[in-house]
Amino acid sequence: MTNALQAEFGETITALSDALAADNEGAFYAELDALLQRRERMLFLDLRKLTGDLQSALTRFRMDSRLVDLAEKDVPDAKLRLDHVLRLTDEAAHRTLDLVEQSGPLAERTARAANDLQEPWKLFRDRKIAIEDFHRMVRNVDAFLEAASGDMDKVRENLSQVLLAQGYQDLSGQIIRGVTKLVTELEIALVDLVRLSQAGARTARQVSEETRRGFGPPIPGIKTAPAVSGQQDVDALLSGLGV
Amino acid sequence: MSKNLKFLVVDDFSTMRRIVKNLLNDLGYANVVEADDGNTALPLLQAGGIDFLVTDWNMPGMPGLDLLKAVRADPKLAKMPVLMLTAEAKREQIIEAAQAGVNGYVIKPFTAITLKEKIDKILGATS
Repeated sequence: MTNALQAEFGETITALSDALAADNEGAFYAELDALLQRRERMLFLDLRKLTGDLQSALTRFRMDSRLVDLAEKDVPDAKLRLDHVLRLTDEAAHRTLDLVEQSGPLAERTARAANDLQEPWKLFRDRKIAIEDFHRMVRNVDAFLEAASGDMDKVRENLSQVLLAQGYQDLSGQIIRGVTKLVTELEIALVDLVRLSQAGARTARQVSEETRRGFGPPIPGIKTAPAVSGQQDVDALLSGLGV
Repeated sequence: MSKNLKFLVVDDFSTMRRIVKNLLNDLGYANVVEADDGNTALPLLQAGGIDFLVTDWNMPGMPGLDLLKAVRADPKLAKMPVLMLTAEAKREQIIEAAQAGVNGYVIKPFTAITLKEKIDKILGATS
């Protein structure tokens, strides 16, 4: 330390001391000015370094707080979102399977009843049917027409429900897209952090605003702005607005 | 009500477009065309011949709200019946859609009966 001070100021101080001893006013003030200027320059360098550090700390803080947000809120939200997707796909699969299982026996019953009628019908067309068999066939045709009509109505309704159950793909797709976006954002934040720690200050990227584009389906357990709970709510709100 | 109306169904998910198209067919509307976002829907609408617009909100490219505003801003399309069929459930969004001039708003997941009721209501009011 002493050596460094000696190297830095030794020469100037000696010259200053010599000028003082010789009562050389001009030389004395020239050396003093040179000393002050050097000291000012050093202070300026220190200050610049301090400002740089502060700026870097602020950038890091901004990024850190975004990362904290991502880690504390968005990542757990993403887990909830994916759980919800799992639930949606599970429910849709079960709903579809239930409807198919309900429809199968109805179609089978109709096919069997139609098949059972074929033999007496053929005898009837060949004019070989016995009168009691004819009466039985007529009763069976009556029952068949009524049952087939009811069963096929039910099958058609079930098919329509199967169709609607596929709507989960739209909802789960929107949720998965949201999670993909989060992963991209997380990646950008982490890459920025790595870059910052390697090469000094960088500004954090802005997150795109979603309001205009839409938020996607509401997820149970994730609190957002006030939302409607179903179609009745929508209807009430709209009729209040005169739509 | 005329079943010859031509519907345009706008949704970025092809499964949802198929579902809506099938439901419309079940309701007797056989003339249905599709688009996957506002940017592809708008030229179809401007080309003419569409009588009823059913649109999703959240779509890449042009979202449904922007499409609705573009329709209302175009003198040739301004009176087009528009039904929003979306999972967007925030009250502020529904108010926003109403202010932009939507004729009906159906929230996903929805039922065939709800879709029918809203279409009938809109057609009843605009005819």
